[in-house]
Amino acid sequence: MSYVFFPGCSLEGTARDFHQSTMAVAGALGLALPEIPDWICCGSTAAHQSDPLLALALPAKSLAAAGGNTVVACCAACYSRLKTANHEISKDAATRRKVAEALGHDYDGKTPVAHLLEVLVRDVGLPAIAARIKRPLEGLKVACYYGCLLSRPPEVTGFDDAENPTLMDAVCKAAGATPLDWPHKTECCGASYSITDPGIVLDLTREILSMARAAGADCIVTACPLCQLNLDMRQKDIEAKFGEAYGLPVFYFTQVLGLAMGLAPEQLGLKSLVVDPMPLLAANGVV
Amino acid sequence: MNQSSHLAAHLDGRVFELAEPDFAAEVEHASGANLAACLQCGKCSSGCPVAARSNLRPHVLVRLVQLGQRDEVLSSRFIWECTSCQTCITRCPQKVDVAAMNDALRRMSREAAKVCGETTVPVFNDIFLRTIRRLGRMYEMGLMTSYKLRTGRLMADVDKFPMMLAKGKLALLPKKVRGAAERKKLFERAGRAGGKKP
Repeated sequence: MSYVFFPGCSLEGTARDFHQSTMAVAGALGLALPEIPDWICCGSTAAHQSDPLLALALPAKSLAAAGGNTVVACCAACYSRLKTANHEISKDAATRRKVAEALGHDYDGKTPVAHLLEVLVRDVGLPAIAARIKRPLEGLKVACYYGCLLSRPPEVTGFDDAENPTLMDAVCKAAGATPLDWPHKTECCGASYSITDPGIVLDLTREILSMARAAGADCIVTACPLCQLNLDMRQKDIEAKFGEAYGLPVFYFTQVLGLAMGLAPEQLGLKSLVVDPMPLLAANGVV
Repeated sequence: MNQSSHLAAHLDGRVFELAEPDFAAEVEHASGANLAACLQCGKCSSGCPVAARSNLRPHVLVRLVQLGQRDEVLSSRFIWECTSCQTCITRCPQKVDVAAMNDALRRMSREAAKVCGETTVPVFNDIFLRTIRRLGRMYEMGLMTSYKLRTGRLMADVDKFPMMLAKGKLALLPKKVRGAAERKKLFERAGRAGGKKP
C-alpha cells in the first residue's frame, strides 16, 4: 500500500515535535510518507461552525490531490474533517455536486484516509513493530489519551471502539510500556477553546490529568496536537488556579515508540514538551 | 394536562411553551438533524463535557428548538460552549445529531445578530478562515496577534509566547502554499452557496 501524508497546520507550528517524531519513526520502519503537494488546511472547527460547504470543500481539495494513495493524518482534528468530507460526499449525490461546484472539479469522496495509529497497527502490524524495539520501556505506566475525534462518531471515522479504543494502547504495549485501564481515554480536552474560552479547557484538562494520576500513570500519551498542547501547557495554569501540581509529561505516541526503537530524544523533538520528560525517562532507564 | 404544558421546557425557573412552530423545521433543514426523533432521555447531557458549567444542557436545547424558542436558543451561551466533541451524536439512541444542530444554530445566531455577548468564538473563526483563505494554511502567530487585537485580550497567555518560541512551537513565518487564485475561487464559490448545508 502506498501512502501520502497530510501533516495538517499544527504539525508545522505548535506540534513540530509530532511531525519530527512521525518522520523519524516512519523512516526507521521503512514507511514512506511523502507530503501531498500544496495541501491546504482542513478548515478545522472554524469552517464547520461557519460554513458547511467550505467545511467539505477544503478537505476535499487535498484529498483529490492524493493521486489515489491512502492519505495518512496525525492530527485527530484533520483526520476527523477528512473522514467527514469523504462520508458526506460519498453518501449523497447532491452534496458531491455542490462540493464539485466549489472545487471546480468532481471528487468522489473515496480517497482512503487513515490515522497513523491505524497504519501502524493494521498495515505495518504489531509483530513488525515489536521486531524493531531496541529499548523496551519496561515499567513505564502510560495513560493513552485518544480525545474526541479519532473515534467519534464511529459511523464516520471507523477508527476503533468509540468508548474504549485500544490502538494506541497496542502500540505502547509493543514498545514495552504498560498501558493503563482508565476511564478518560475519550473525554474532551476543550480543544480550540484554549484561546477563546480557556476556563473550559482548564476544567476539562484538570479532570483528565487528575484521572490519569489516580490511575497511577507516569505520563500521558496522545495522538492529537491540541490534546497534547492543552494537557501539557495548561498544567502550569491549573497549578496557579487550583493549586494542583501534576508534573505529568505528555508525549505523542510517536515519541514513545521512537524512544523504544532506540531513537535519540533530539530526533523525537522531546525538547518541545513543556513538562520535562527527562527525569521520568532517566528514572526508568530509557535515557 | 394539555399538550403545551406537557411539552414545556423548564430552565432557570422559567417555563417555556410552544412559541414558533416552524423554527424546529428550519433548524432541521439547516442541520440535517432529525430533531423530532429526540426522546428527551438525557443521554447526550450526561456525556456532554460542558453541560455541568452551563445553564443549558443539550437535551434541553433540543426541546427549546422543538418549542420554537428562537431568541432563547440563538442568543444562548451554550451553543458557543459546545466543543463539537461528538459525544452526543455517538451515544444518542435515536441518532439525533446534536453536534450538527449546534453548528447550524451558530450560523443562524450570527445571521440573526443574536450572538451571546460573552463569546469571542465567531471572531476567532473569522480570523482563522481569513488566514487560510489568504495563506492556504493556518499561521498561528498571525492568528493570535489578530485575535488579541480584535478582542482586546492583549495580555491573555502572554507568558506562553517566550516559552513556545524557546521550545520551537511557533513558526515565525507562514509557509508558502501555491494555488492562491484557485483557493480564492474555492472560497468565493462556497460562499455563494450561502453557508447552507449542501
